[in-house]
Amino acid sequence: MQTNQETLGALERRIDMSVSMAEIDKEVDSRLKRMARTVKMPGFRPGKVPLKIVAQTYESQARSEAIGAAVEKAFGDTVREQNLRVAGYPRIEPKEAAAEGTLAFSAVFEVYPQVELGDLSQSKVERPVLVVGDAEVDKTIEVLRKQRTRFETAERAAAEGDRVVIDFAGRKDGELFEGGQAQDFPFVIGAGSMLKDFETAVTGLAAGESKTFDMTFPEDYHAANLAGQTVQFEVTVKRVEAAVLPAIDADLARSLGVADGDVAKLRDEVRANLEREVKRRIQAKIKEQVMDALLNANPIEVPKALIDAESRQLAENAKRDLEMRGMKTKDIPVEAAWFTDQAVRRVKLGLIMSELVKAKELYAKPEQVRTLVEEMAQSYEDPSELVRWYYAQPERLAQAEAVVIEDNVVEWVSSQAQTSDNAVSFDELMGNNAA
Amino acid sequence: MSGFSQERLMQVLLAPQISEKATYIADKNEQVVFKVASCATKPEVKAAVELLFKVEVKSVQIANVKGKLKRFGKTTGRRKGWKKAFVCLKPGQEINFAAGE
Repeated sequence: MQTNQETLGALERRIDMSVSMAEIDKEVDSRLKRMARTVKMPGFRPGKVPLKIVAQTYESQARSEAIGAAVEKAFGDTVREQNLRVAGYPRIEPKEAAAEGTLAFSAVFEVYPQVELGDLSQSKVERPVLVVGDAEVDKTIEVLRKQRTRFETAERAAAEGDRVVIDFAGRKDGELFEGGQAQDFPFVIGAGSMLKDFETAVTGLAAGESKTFDMTFPEDYHAANLAGQTVQFEVTVKRVEAAVLPAIDADLARSLGVADGDVAKLRDEVRANLEREVKRRIQAKIKEQVMDALLNANPIEVPKALIDAESRQLAENAKRDLEMRGMKTKDIPVEAAWFTDQAVRRVKLGLIMSELVKAKELYAKPEQVRTLVEEMAQSYEDPSELVRWYYAQPERLAQAEAVVIEDNVVEWVSSQAQTSDNAVSFDELMGNNAA
Repeated sequence: MSGFSQERLMQVLLAPQISEKATYIADKNEQVVFKVASCATKPEVKAAVELLFKVEVKSVQIANVKGKLKRFGKTTGRRKGWKKAFVCLKPGQEINFAAGE
């Protein structure tokens, strides 16, 4: 068996190999003999079929198997000999110009790139800083109160923020149009569920009053037959209800899950939750930057085979995700090509990270894993149960380990790169203003 | 050649009989076993084998095989009977089924 290696691209290699025919013939024979002992055929008891007849029926199959095995073995030997790390599967092509009595073929494949850890000292990592203060806690409680707004009937004219219950009928050129009338229709003024002009017209009416007014639909209204048209509405207000925010008291605390209704405890709980959330967001932000920094500092070329496999995997996941949400995936073609960019990033990161972990010994230490699991368990009712659940199966623990390794990498990179602290506002961090 | 019409000879041989017994006989006596049409005679089989496989036949033995009795519940039935021909080739002759078709 001779081999001959060639470098085609940055990662692509070709190996020419040849296997002697005699070897393959011997292999075919032994395969047939083994087969003859078990093969079944009409007219013969199992295992009593003469070798000649077995050979007649199964020779081509045995030959292709033998060739496949020989090729694979030759390839495997070569790879081991030359210490190559093959990514994905090789493409094997037979070669015509072979010497008599030998079978020649060439295998084209990709190797894993050599990752050289780049210099990170030029990279910048911005660390968002935010201390959860009373203001943030107040804000959150305010949001919680708003979610529990009650409406109480009020004997006054409707104002912004009130909920009104109305009957209305709309006429276009004197005729009722579809969707233009309703009875006992509730809406909150200023919430934006009705058109602005409509809300303005209703504002100021008390219960029992009615009003007729003209209104022009905006040009971009979704119903084409009404867009830009002027119609006449007749509105009767049945009830005006004022919004009442619940007071910050024991009842509110109880409804939010603090059993003894202690407001101070509610504040503590809200603060703890916020702190956890803020920490998580900050971590995520830093991680994103670290990953970017790693990618920029280590330009590597990734094997196509890996990208293909990864994008196919991502497409599979996306499909399953859709199915979970009850969509029919048969009608939606999810193509692996859509995920190529994401796959490239993931594969690159995976390679860099594994190299980094190996080089800097950032492996997950048992006590780190333990701490992480316990931390995760804290938000559950029975923390020890979750800890046990994690430790019961190695795969689950492996997940936790992966997280720890990621954290280690983030920490190490942050220590190498130029880090700067950057105070951010609460809304900014939570992404509220982005919406 | 013989006095049989070629059309008739084409209908005589039905299939080679491939079984443990047939291979055993082939090894022992230089015989080949065929299923043949029930109305075929020894001379017809000889002529047919010589025509189709281009070999020389020494002799032909024939047996009528009775169909098996099969029961389905109470009712009994019988499978079709068939004629088996043992064709003895002259020394040094061989039928290659793969090439002879």
